[in-house]
Amino acid sequence: MHIPDGFLDPLTAGVTYVLTILYGAYALYGSKWKKNPDKLNLAAVLAAGIFAVQMLNWPIPGGTSLHFVGGALAGILLGPWVGFVSMFLVLLVQCLVFHDGGITALGANVLNMAIVDVLVGYALYKVFPQRFKVVGAFLGGWLGITLAGLLCGVELGVSSQLPYGLSVTVPIMGLWHAVLGVIEGFITAGVVAYISKKAPYLLE
Amino acid sequence: MISRKALLVIFLLVLVSPVFGVVLADIVGYHEPLDVAAERLGLEDITEELNWTPLIDYTVPGLPDVVGYIVAGFIGVGIVLALGLGLSRLAFSK
Repeated sequence: MHIPDGFLDPLTAGVTYVLTILYGAYALYGSKWKKNPDKLNLAAVLAAGIFAVQMLNWPIPGGTSLHFVGGALAGILLGPWVGFVSMFLVLLVQCLVFHDGGITALGANVLNMAIVDVLVGYALYKVFPQRFKVVGAFLGGWLGITLAGLLCGVELGVSSQLPYGLSVTVPIMGLWHAVLGVIEGFITAGVVAYISKKAPYLLE
Repeated sequence: MISRKALLVIFLLVLVSPVFGVVLADIVGYHEPLDVAAERLGLEDITEELNWTPLIDYTVPGLPDVVGYIVAGFIGVGIVLALGLGLSRLAFSK
């Protein structure tokens, strides 16, 4: 889902940068996340873990692959603000150090994977009652990736760099990520189920 | 407190990552899902032309792809951890 350089026009890149900076500024300065030391250390370790897991591309015959994104899991474990910080660190290092995702598209990539995916995962997990939390985690993982993919399709569709519009890009990106999102949902639910047994305090 | 178990899992993940990111990817002709969609849409990827890092695509100059992928993984994990823990300390110090 990492949009490379050359895919977004200046307007789309600019708007996504502004939205990301506004959300990031509130996450860093406006929210009260800094008062929770355990969450901050967990955010660092989770970010390192998500970085490592994203390197495990599972190839699919036919020339494509999938890998776990982890935004919904970050939202579930850390909440919308620290979860954002955790995913932002991953995307920043991937972009600046490994050129995985373009510098012109960093705003869009952060918006999709560190804001939308994190928020959707967090929200769906929260609305489910305690005994159905694993279902909430699955749906959060699946819908988080699907909506992030849809937004990615919107960004590509409105970009004048593309020969096609929203009617082409949104279905392609949305459908593709809705299918891949099932795996994301299962992994997210599996990790949450494991943590709820081994270290339930992390989910409080 | 950082869990040693978590760090061990991350260490092992990086060690096995080339099996998926390099070996199997070469066998099936890996492309990022977005790259596949972009190809169908006729988009041009200008990553190579705009590159600023020697570690592009998790490679390390002079090292075979498999070894480079592992080294790149440890570099990435190290930087992410350092930034995250640095941010944490910064927040506590205030």
